[in-house]
Amino acid sequence: MIRLRRIVLFVLGITPFLYIGQAIVRLQSGEWEILGPEPGKAVVWFTGTWAFNFLLLTLAVTPLRRLLKQPWLIQHRLIQHRRMLGLFAFFYASLHLLSYFAFLLEWRFAELGAETIKRPYLLLGMTAWLLLLPLAVTSTRGWQRRLKQGWKRLHKLIYPLSVLVAVHYLLQIRSSWFEPVLYAALVLCLLLLRWQKATVAKHPDGHNS
Amino acid sequence: EQIGAARETSFGEDEVLTPYSSVTQYNNFYEFGTGKDDPYRYASKLKTDPWSVTVDGECEVKGSFTLEDLLKGQSLEERIYRLRCVEAWSMVIPWIGFPLADLIKRFKPLASAKYIEFITLEDKKQMPGQRSAFSTIDWPYREGLRMDEAMHPLTIMAVGLYGEVLPNQNGAPLRLVVPWKYGFKSIKSIVAIRFRETMPRTTWNDIAPNEYGFYANVNPQVDHPRWSQASERRLPSGLFKPNRISTRLFNGYDEVASLYSGMDLHKYY
Repeated sequence: MIRLRRIVLFVLGITPFLYIGQAIVRLQSGEWEILGPEPGKAVVWFTGTWAFNFLLLTLAVTPLRRLLKQPWLIQHRLIQHRRMLGLFAFFYASLHLLSYFAFLLEWRFAELGAETIKRPYLLLGMTAWLLLLPLAVTSTRGWQRRLKQGWKRLHKLIYPLSVLVAVHYLLQIRSSWFEPVLYAALVLCLLLLRWQKATVAKHPDGHNS
Repeated sequence: EQIGAARETSFGEDEVLTPYSSVTQYNNFYEFGTGKDDPYRYASKLKTDPWSVTVDGECEVKGSFTLEDLLKGQSLEERIYRLRCVEAWSMVIPWIGFPLADLIKRFKPLASAKYIEFITLEDKKQMPGQRSAFSTIDWPYREGLRMDEAMHPLTIMAVGLYGEVLPNQNGAPLRLVVPWKYGFKSIKSIVAIRFRETMPRTTWNDIAPNEYGFYANVNPQVDHPRWSQASERRLPSGLFKPNRISTRLFNGYDEVASLYSGMDLHKYY
Protein backbone atom coordinates (compact mmCIF):
# COMPACT_ATOMS: atom_id res chain seq x y z
CA MET A 1 0.00 0.00 0.00
CA ILE A 2 2.64 2.46 0.97
CA ARG A 3 4.42 1.86 -2.32
CA LEU A 4 1.27 2.49 -4.27
CA ARG A 5 0.62 5.70 -2.33
CA ARG A 6 4.19 6.77 -2.99
CA ILE A 7 3.81 6.16 -6.72
CA VAL A 8 0.54 8.08 -6.84
CA LEU A 9 2.05 10.98 -4.95
CA PHE A 10 5.11 10.98 -7.17
CA VAL A 11 3.00 11.06 -10.32
CA LEU A 12 0.92 13.93 -8.91
CA GLY A 13 4.04 15.81 -7.86
CA ILE A 14 5.79 15.45 -11.17
CA THR A 15 2.73 16.50 -13.20
CA PRO A 16 3.42 20.27 -13.08
CA PHE A 17 6.95 19.54 -14.28
CA LEU A 18 5.66 17.46 -17.18
CA TYR A 19 3.17 20.18 -18.03
CA ILE A 20 5.76 22.95 -18.17
CA GLY A 21 8.17 20.61 -19.96
CA GLN A 22 5.75 19.90 -22.79
CA ALA A 23 4.87 23.61 -22.98
CA ILE A 24 8.57 24.41 -23.44
CA VAL A 25 8.99 21.70 -26.09
CA ARG A 26 5.93 22.94 -27.96
CA LEU A 27 7.22 26.50 -27.71
CA GLN A 28 10.32 25.44 -29.63
CA SER A 29 8.07 24.36 -32.48
CA GLY A 30 6.34 27.71 -32.52
CA GLU A 31 3.36 27.12 -30.23
CA TRP A 32 3.94 30.12 -28.00
CA GLU A 33 0.31 30.58 -26.95
CA ILE A 34 0.60 28.30 -23.89
CA LEU A 35 3.34 30.31 -22.23
CA GLY A 36 2.63 33.64 -23.89
CA PRO A 37 5.07 36.01 -25.54
CA GLU A 38 7.20 36.20 -22.38
CA PRO A 39 7.82 32.49 -21.79
CA GLY A 40 10.80 33.06 -19.48
CA LYS A 41 8.69 34.96 -17.00
CA ALA A 42 5.91 32.38 -17.29
CA VAL A 43 8.26 29.50 -16.46
CA VAL A 44 9.76 31.34 -13.49
CA TRP A 45 6.29 32.10 -12.09
CA PHE A 46 5.01 28.60 -12.68
CA THR A 47 7.92 26.86 -10.97
CA GLY A 48 7.91 29.37 -8.10
CA THR A 49 4.21 28.83 -7.49
CA TRP A 50 4.64 25.06 -7.39
CA ALA A 51 7.63 25.29 -5.07
CA PHE A 52 5.46 27.33 -2.70
CA ASN A 53 2.54 24.90 -3.05
CA PHE A 54 4.71 21.95 -2.03
CA LEU A 55 6.26 23.94 0.78
CA LEU A 56 2.76 24.60 2.15
CA LEU A 57 1.81 20.94 1.79
CA THR A 58 4.96 19.90 3.66
CA LEU A 59 4.18 22.34 6.45
CA ALA A 60 0.61 21.14 6.60
CA VAL A 61 1.42 17.51 7.37
CA THR A 62 1.94 17.80 11.12
CA PRO A 63 -1.01 20.12 11.88
CA LEU A 64 -3.27 18.02 9.66
CA ARG A 65 -2.39 14.87 11.55
CA ARG A 66 -3.17 16.61 14.80
CA LEU A 67 -6.33 18.37 13.67
CA LEU A 68 -7.91 15.43 11.93
CA LYS A 69 -7.17 13.16 14.89
CA GLN A 70 -7.69 10.20 12.60
CA PRO A 71 -5.72 7.32 14.03
CA TRP A 72 -4.82 6.02 10.59
CA LEU A 73 -3.42 9.42 9.68
CA ILE A 74 -1.53 9.78 12.91
CA GLN A 75 -0.02 6.36 12.87
CA HIS A 76 1.60 6.26 9.50
CA ARG A 77 0.15 7.42 6.38
CA LEU A 78 0.64 11.13 6.18
CA ILE A 79 4.05 11.42 7.80
CA GLN A 80 5.48 8.76 5.52
CA HIS A 81 5.03 11.10 2.60
CA ARG A 82 6.32 14.33 4.07
CA ARG A 83 9.82 13.76 2.76
CA MET A 84 8.58 13.47 -0.80
CA LEU A 85 6.52 16.64 -0.47
CA GLY A 86 9.54 18.48 0.88
CA LEU A 87 11.75 17.16 -1.90
CA PHE A 88 9.24 18.31 -4.49
CA ALA A 89 9.32 21.77 -2.90
CA PHE A 90 13.09 21.71 -3.27
CA PHE A 91 12.85 20.38 -6.83
CA TYR A 92 10.52 23.16 -7.98
CA ALA A 93 12.43 25.81 -5.99
CA SER A 94 15.62 24.70 -7.77
CA LEU A 95 13.90 24.87 -11.16
CA HIS A 96 12.57 28.28 -10.17
CA LEU A 97 16.06 29.54 -9.35
CA LEU A 98 17.56 27.89 -12.42
CA SER A 99 14.94 29.32 -14.76
CA TYR A 100 15.44 32.74 -13.18
CA PHE A 101 19.18 32.48 -13.88
CA ALA A 102 18.67 31.13 -17.38
CA PHE A 103 15.65 32.98 -18.70
CA LEU A 104 15.47 36.26 -16.78
CA LEU A 105 19.04 36.93 -15.68
CA GLU A 106 20.33 35.18 -18.82
CA TRP A 107 23.43 34.09 -16.90
CA ARG A 108 24.69 37.65 -16.56
CA PHE A 109 25.91 36.95 -13.06
CA ALA A 110 27.81 40.22 -13.04
CA GLU A 111 24.40 41.88 -12.67
CA LEU A 112 23.22 39.55 -9.96
CA GLY A 113 25.05 41.33 -7.15
CA ALA A 114 23.63 44.72 -8.02
CA GLU A 115 20.17 43.27 -8.64
CA THR A 116 20.05 41.47 -5.29
CA ILE A 117 21.14 44.46 -3.28
CA LYS A 118 18.63 46.73 -4.96
CA ARG A 119 15.79 44.23 -4.96
CA PRO A 120 15.40 42.55 -1.59
CA TYR A 121 12.87 39.99 -2.83
CA LEU A 122 15.63 38.33 -4.85
CA LEU A 123 17.85 38.13 -1.78
CA LEU A 124 15.02 36.63 0.27
CA GLY A 125 14.25 34.06 -2.39
CA MET A 126 17.84 32.97 -2.76
CA THR A 127 18.37 32.79 1.00
CA ALA A 128 15.30 30.60 1.27
CA TRP A 129 16.68 28.26 -1.37
CA LEU A 130 20.05 28.11 0.43
CA LEU A 131 18.25 27.16 3.65
CA LEU A 132 16.23 24.53 1.82
CA LEU A 133 19.34 22.95 0.30
CA PRO A 134 20.72 21.32 3.50
CA LEU A 135 17.24 20.04 4.33
CA ALA A 136 17.02 18.29 0.97
CA VAL A 137 20.54 16.88 1.29
CA THR A 138 19.93 15.53 4.80
CA SER A 139 16.50 14.15 4.02
CA THR A 140 17.74 10.59 3.71
CA ARG A 141 17.45 8.02 6.47
CA GLY A 142 21.23 7.79 6.67
CA TRP A 143 21.56 11.46 7.51
CA GLN A 144 18.66 11.25 9.88
CA ARG A 145 20.57 8.57 11.84
CA ARG A 146 23.91 10.34 11.66
CA LEU A 147 22.57 13.68 12.90
CA LYS A 148 20.40 12.17 15.66
CA GLN A 149 18.73 14.99 17.65
CA GLY A 150 20.49 17.56 15.47
CA TRP A 151 18.39 16.43 12.51
CA LYS A 152 15.17 17.67 14.06
CA ARG A 153 16.77 20.96 14.99
CA LEU A 154 18.20 21.39 11.51
CA HIS A 155 14.87 20.71 9.86
CA LYS A 156 13.20 23.42 11.92
CA LEU A 157 14.85 25.70 9.34
CA ILE A 158 11.70 25.17 7.31
CA TYR A 159 9.90 27.68 9.57
CA PRO A 160 12.12 30.72 9.00
CA LEU A 161 12.54 29.84 5.34
CA SER A 162 8.78 29.73 4.84
CA VAL A 163 8.54 33.23 6.24
CA LEU A 164 11.25 34.37 3.81
CA VAL A 165 9.35 32.79 0.91
CA ALA A 166 6.10 34.47 1.97
CA VAL A 167 7.77 37.89 2.12
CA HIS A 168 9.53 37.15 -1.20
CA TYR A 169 6.08 36.83 -2.77
CA LEU A 170 4.49 39.73 -0.86
CA LEU A 171 7.19 42.10 -2.09
CA GLN A 172 6.09 41.49 -5.65
CA ILE A 173 2.51 42.74 -5.31
CA ARG A 174 1.52 45.02 -8.13
CA SER A 175 -2.12 45.29 -8.89
CA SER A 176 -3.69 42.38 -7.07
CA TRP A 177 -2.75 41.29 -3.59
CA PHE A 178 -4.98 38.26 -3.36
CA GLU A 179 -2.52 35.45 -4.02
CA PRO A 180 0.54 36.79 -2.16
CA VAL A 181 -1.63 37.60 0.87
CA LEU A 182 -3.38 34.22 0.74
CA TYR A 183 -0.05 32.38 0.65
CA ALA A 184 1.35 34.50 3.48
CA ALA A 185 -1.78 33.89 5.54
CA LEU A 186 -1.48 30.13 5.01
CA VAL A 187 2.16 30.19 6.11
CA LEU A 188 1.20 32.22 9.15
CA CYS A 189 -1.61 29.81 10.07
CA LEU A 190 0.57 26.75 9.67
CA LEU A 191 3.28 28.30 11.83
CA LEU A 192 0.84 29.53 14.47
CA LEU A 193 -0.59 26.04 14.83
CA ARG A 194 2.88 24.87 15.84
CA TRP A 195 3.56 27.79 18.11
CA GLN A 196 0.30 27.14 19.91
CA LYS A 197 1.26 23.51 20.38
CA ALA A 198 4.72 24.48 21.62
CA THR A 199 3.32 26.86 24.25
CA VAL A 200 0.80 24.29 25.37
CA ALA A 201 3.56 21.74 25.75
CA LYS A 202 5.70 24.15 27.75
CA HIS A 203 2.90 24.96 30.16
CA PRO A 204 1.18 21.67 30.82
CA ASP A 205 -0.94 23.28 33.53
CA GLY A 206 -2.25 25.98 31.22
CA HIS A 207 -5.95 26.31 30.46
CA ASN A 208 -5.53 24.87 27.03
CA SER A 209 -4.35 21.47 28.03
CA GLU B 1 -13.57 44.70 -38.80
CA GLN B 2 -11.49 46.63 -41.31
CA ILE B 3 -11.06 50.32 -40.81
CA GLY B 4 -11.38 52.99 -43.51
CA ALA B 5 -8.33 54.08 -45.46
CA ALA B 6 -5.54 55.32 -43.22
CA ARG B 7 -2.70 57.40 -44.59
CA GLU B 8 0.67 55.74 -44.32
CA THR B 9 3.39 57.60 -42.48
CA SER B 10 7.12 57.09 -42.20
CA PHE B 11 7.00 56.41 -38.45
CA GLY B 12 8.75 53.20 -37.55
CA GLU B 13 9.05 51.98 -41.11
CA ASP B 14 12.37 50.30 -40.26
CA GLU B 15 10.93 48.46 -37.26
CA VAL B 16 9.96 44.79 -37.16
CA LEU B 17 6.29 44.57 -36.17
CA THR B 18 5.24 42.50 -33.15
CA PRO B 19 2.89 39.79 -34.44
CA TYR B 20 -0.81 40.60 -34.27
CA SER B 21 -1.39 37.63 -31.98
CA SER B 22 1.03 38.97 -29.35
CA VAL B 23 -0.32 42.50 -29.64
CA THR B 24 -3.85 41.29 -29.01
CA GLN B 25 -3.28 38.45 -26.54
CA TYR B 26 -0.75 39.93 -24.15
CA ASN B 27 -2.17 43.03 -22.54
CA ASN B 28 -2.30 44.87 -19.27
CA PHE B 29 -5.89 46.01 -18.97
CA TYR B 30 -6.73 45.34 -15.35
CA GLU B 31 -10.38 46.19 -15.90
CA PHE B 32 -10.56 42.68 -17.34
CA GLY B 33 -8.27 40.91 -14.89
CA THR B 34 -4.65 40.90 -13.85
CA GLY B 35 -3.51 38.04 -16.09
CA LYS B 36 -1.89 39.04 -19.35
CA ASP B 37 -4.41 37.02 -21.34
CA ASP B 38 -7.45 38.06 -19.28
CA PRO B 39 -8.18 41.07 -21.52
CA TYR B 40 -8.12 38.84 -24.61
CA ARG B 41 -10.43 36.38 -22.90
CA TYR B 42 -12.91 38.72 -21.27
CA ALA B 43 -12.92 42.00 -23.18
CA SER B 44 -15.47 40.80 -25.71
CA LYS B 45 -18.11 41.73 -23.12
CA LEU B 46 -17.28 45.40 -23.56
CA LYS B 47 -19.87 47.23 -25.60
CA THR B 48 -18.16 49.96 -27.60
CA ASP B 49 -21.14 51.09 -29.67
CA PRO B 50 -22.70 53.48 -28.77
CA TRP B 51 -19.82 55.26 -27.06
CA SER B 52 -19.54 58.80 -25.83
CA VAL B 53 -16.89 60.94 -24.24
CA THR B 54 -17.53 63.76 -21.78
CA VAL B 55 -15.39 66.85 -22.16
CA ASP B 56 -15.23 69.51 -19.48
CA GLY B 57 -12.96 71.70 -17.39
CA GLU B 58 -10.88 74.62 -18.64
CA CYS B 59 -12.20 74.76 -22.20
CA GLU B 60 -14.84 76.61 -24.22
CA VAL B 61 -16.48 73.64 -25.89
CA LYS B 62 -17.83 71.20 -23.32
CA GLY B 63 -20.33 68.43 -23.34
CA SER B 64 -20.88 64.83 -24.20
CA PHE B 65 -19.74 63.76 -27.65
CA THR B 66 -20.44 60.55 -29.44
CA LEU B 67 -17.51 58.67 -30.91
CA GLU B 68 -18.78 59.56 -34.38
CA ASP B 69 -18.74 63.25 -33.42
CA LEU B 70 -15.16 63.00 -32.27
CA LEU B 71 -13.97 61.17 -35.37
CA LYS B 72 -15.75 63.46 -37.80
CA GLY B 73 -13.24 65.31 -39.93
CA GLN B 74 -10.23 63.52 -38.46
CA SER B 75 -8.06 61.98 -41.13
CA LEU B 76 -6.73 58.67 -39.94
CA GLU B 77 -3.12 57.71 -40.35
CA GLU B 78 -1.05 54.66 -39.57
CA ARG B 79 1.80 55.14 -37.13
CA ILE B 80 4.19 52.35 -36.28
CA TYR B 81 5.29 53.07 -32.73
CA ARG B 82 7.42 51.28 -30.21
CA LEU B 83 5.50 50.56 -27.00
CA ARG B 84 7.64 50.20 -23.88
CA CYS B 85 5.87 48.75 -20.87
CA VAL B 86 7.10 49.75 -17.42
CA GLU B 87 7.47 45.99 -16.80
CA ALA B 88 10.49 46.00 -19.17
CA TRP B 89 8.94 44.41 -22.22
CA SER B 90 8.20 46.15 -25.48
CA MET B 91 6.33 45.75 -28.74
CA VAL B 92 6.12 47.50 -32.09
CA ILE B 93 2.53 48.23 -33.05
CA PRO B 94 1.02 49.70 -36.22
CA TRP B 95 -1.60 52.00 -34.71
CA ILE B 96 -4.30 53.79 -36.64
CA GLY B 97 -5.33 57.11 -35.26
CA PHE B 98 -4.97 60.87 -35.41
CA PRO B 99 -3.00 63.50 -33.49
CA LEU B 100 -4.51 64.27 -30.11
CA ALA B 101 -3.71 67.94 -30.81
CA ASP B 102 -6.31 67.94 -33.63
CA LEU B 103 -8.96 66.77 -31.20
CA ILE B 104 -7.94 69.14 -28.42
CA LYS B 105 -8.18 72.20 -30.68
CA ARG B 106 -11.88 71.52 -31.26
CA PHE B 107 -12.60 72.00 -27.55
CA LYS B 108 -10.81 75.37 -27.48
CA PRO B 109 -8.88 74.97 -24.22
CA LEU B 110 -8.45 78.14 -22.16
CA ALA B 111 -5.06 79.59 -21.28
CA SER B 112 -5.65 78.23 -17.78
CA ALA B 113 -5.63 74.64 -19.08
CA LYS B 114 -2.22 73.38 -18.04
CA TYR B 115 -3.00 69.67 -17.89
CA ILE B 116 -5.37 67.22 -19.49
CA GLU B 117 -6.93 64.33 -17.63
CA PHE B 118 -8.36 61.13 -19.14
CA ILE B 119 -10.66 58.61 -17.51
CA THR B 120 -11.45 55.03 -18.56
CA LEU B 121 -14.91 53.53 -18.45
CA GLU B 122 -16.02 52.22 -15.07
CA ASP B 123 -18.66 49.54 -15.41
CA LYS B 124 -18.50 46.48 -13.19
CA LYS B 125 -21.00 44.66 -15.37
CA GLN B 126 -18.79 44.79 -18.42
CA MET B 127 -15.42 44.80 -16.71
CA PRO B 128 -14.93 41.81 -14.43
CA GLY B 129 -11.58 43.07 -13.11
CA GLN B 130 -13.39 46.00 -11.50
CA ARG B 131 -15.44 43.56 -9.44
CA SER B 132 -12.35 42.07 -7.81
CA ALA B 133 -12.19 42.79 -4.10
CA PHE B 134 -8.43 42.34 -4.15
CA SER B 135 -7.41 45.01 -6.59
CA THR B 136 -5.10 47.80 -5.51
CA ILE B 137 -6.70 50.05 -8.13
CA ASP B 138 -9.24 52.69 -7.17
CA TRP B 139 -11.50 52.65 -10.25
CA PRO B 140 -11.93 54.28 -12.68
CA TYR B 141 -8.44 54.28 -14.19
CA ARG B 142 -7.09 57.79 -14.62
CA GLU B 143 -4.20 59.25 -16.54
CA GLY B 144 -2.99 62.68 -17.47
CA LEU B 145 -0.54 64.69 -19.49
CA ARG B 146 0.88 68.15 -19.34
CA MET B 147 -0.74 70.28 -22.05
CA ASP B 148 2.45 70.57 -24.12
CA GLU B 149 2.87 66.78 -24.01
CA ALA B 150 -0.71 66.31 -25.13
CA MET B 151 -0.23 68.76 -28.03
CA HIS B 152 3.01 67.15 -29.20
CA PRO B 153 2.63 65.77 -32.73
CA LEU B 154 3.76 62.30 -31.61
CA THR B 155 0.81 61.97 -29.22
CA ILE B 156 -2.14 60.29 -30.90
CA MET B 157 -5.59 58.98 -30.20
CA ALA B 158 -5.81 55.49 -31.65
CA VAL B 159 -8.96 53.82 -32.97
CA GLY B 160 -7.33 50.87 -34.71
CA LEU B 161 -4.30 48.69 -35.18
CA TYR B 162 -3.06 46.40 -37.92
CA GLY B 163 -5.55 47.93 -40.34
CA GLU B 164 -8.60 47.05 -38.28
CA VAL B 165 -10.78 48.59 -35.61
CA LEU B 166 -9.14 48.41 -32.16
CA PRO B 167 -9.81 45.06 -30.54
CA ASN B 168 -11.53 45.63 -27.18
CA GLN B 169 -8.53 44.32 -25.24
CA ASN B 170 -6.37 47.02 -26.79
CA GLY B 171 -8.58 49.83 -25.51
CA ALA B 172 -11.48 50.13 -27.91
CA PRO B 173 -12.98 52.28 -29.12
CA LEU B 174 -10.67 55.17 -28.34
CA ARG B 175 -7.31 55.16 -26.57
CA LEU B 176 -4.32 57.36 -26.08
CA VAL B 177 -0.87 56.46 -27.40
CA VAL B 178 2.13 58.37 -26.05
CA PRO B 179 5.11 56.47 -27.46
CA TRP B 180 7.88 58.02 -25.37
CA LYS B 181 6.22 57.16 -22.06
CA TYR B 182 5.68 53.84 -20.34
CA GLY B 183 2.62 52.05 -21.63
CA PHE B 184 0.45 52.69 -18.59
CA LYS B 185 0.22 56.37 -19.57
CA SER B 186 -1.54 55.38 -22.80
CA ILE B 187 -4.97 55.06 -21.23
CA LYS B 188 -7.57 52.82 -22.85
CA SER B 189 -11.32 53.03 -23.54
CA ILE B 190 -11.59 56.72 -22.70
CA VAL B 191 -14.95 58.11 -21.54
CA ALA B 192 -13.92 61.48 -20.14
CA ILE B 193 -11.45 64.22 -20.97
CA ARG B 194 -10.97 67.14 -18.61
CA PHE B 195 -8.81 70.23 -19.06
CA ARG B 196 -7.28 71.25 -15.76
CA GLU B 197 -5.28 73.98 -14.18
CA THR B 198 -3.56 71.58 -11.80
CA MET B 199 -1.85 68.24 -12.21
CA PRO B 200 -4.47 65.47 -12.14
CA ARG B 201 -4.21 62.39 -9.94
CA THR B 202 -3.18 59.36 -11.95
CA THR B 203 -3.89 55.75 -11.08
CA TRP B 204 -0.47 54.13 -10.76
CA ASN B 205 1.09 57.21 -9.26
CA ASP B 206 -1.62 57.08 -6.58
CA ILE B 207 -0.94 53.40 -5.84
CA ALA B 208 2.85 53.58 -5.65
CA PRO B 209 4.30 57.08 -6.12
CA ASN B 210 7.85 55.82 -5.60
CA GLU B 211 7.43 53.34 -8.45
CA TYR B 212 5.37 55.23 -11.01
CA GLY B 213 5.82 58.92 -11.59
CA PHE B 214 3.39 61.31 -13.23
CA TYR B 215 5.72 61.79 -16.19
CA ALA B 216 6.68 58.11 -16.63
CA ASN B 217 9.02 58.93 -19.49
CA VAL B 218 10.92 55.89 -20.69
CA ASN B 219 14.34 56.31 -19.12
CA PRO B 220 17.04 53.63 -18.87
CA GLN B 221 18.79 55.69 -16.18
CA VAL B 222 15.93 55.59 -13.69
CA ASP B 223 15.23 52.10 -12.41
CA HIS B 224 11.91 50.89 -11.15
CA PRO B 225 12.57 50.11 -7.47
CA ARG B 226 12.05 46.41 -8.19
CA TRP B 227 13.76 46.04 -11.58
CA SER B 228 16.18 47.69 -13.91
CA GLN B 229 14.89 49.76 -16.81
CA ALA B 230 18.22 49.68 -18.66
CA SER B 231 17.04 47.04 -21.10
CA GLU B 232 13.84 45.50 -22.35
CA ARG B 233 12.58 42.34 -24.00
CA ARG B 234 11.15 42.90 -27.43
CA LEU B 235 8.20 40.53 -27.70
CA PRO B 236 7.69 37.83 -28.58
CA SER B 237 10.73 36.74 -26.66
CA GLY B 238 12.10 33.22 -26.96
CA LEU B 239 13.03 31.13 -23.98
CA PHE B 240 16.63 30.66 -25.04
CA LYS B 241 16.79 33.73 -27.26
CA PRO B 242 15.20 36.38 -25.06
CA ASN B 243 15.45 39.18 -27.64
CA ARG B 244 16.81 41.67 -25.14
CA ILE B 245 17.62 45.16 -26.37
CA SER B 246 18.87 48.33 -24.67
CA THR B 247 16.21 50.78 -23.61
CA ARG B 248 16.61 54.28 -25.01
CA LEU B 249 15.81 57.57 -23.33
CA PHE B 250 12.27 58.65 -24.33
CA ASN B 251 11.96 55.24 -25.98
CA GLY B 252 14.16 56.60 -28.77
CA TYR B 253 11.83 59.51 -29.59
CA ASP B 254 14.49 62.18 -29.11
CA GLU B 255 12.26 64.89 -30.58
CA VAL B 256 10.40 65.18 -27.27
CA ALA B 257 13.54 66.03 -25.25
CA SER B 258 12.85 69.77 -25.46
CA LEU B 259 9.61 69.27 -23.49
CA TYR B 260 11.75 68.42 -20.46
CA SER B 261 14.70 70.75 -20.85
CA GLY B 262 15.90 71.94 -17.48
CA MET B 263 13.98 69.24 -15.62
CA ASP B 264 15.76 66.73 -13.42
CA LEU B 265 14.46 63.48 -14.89
CA HIS B 266 15.60 61.53 -11.84
CA LYS B 267 13.29 63.64 -9.72
CA TYR B 268 10.44 63.96 -12.20
CA TYR B 269 10.39 60.34 -13.33
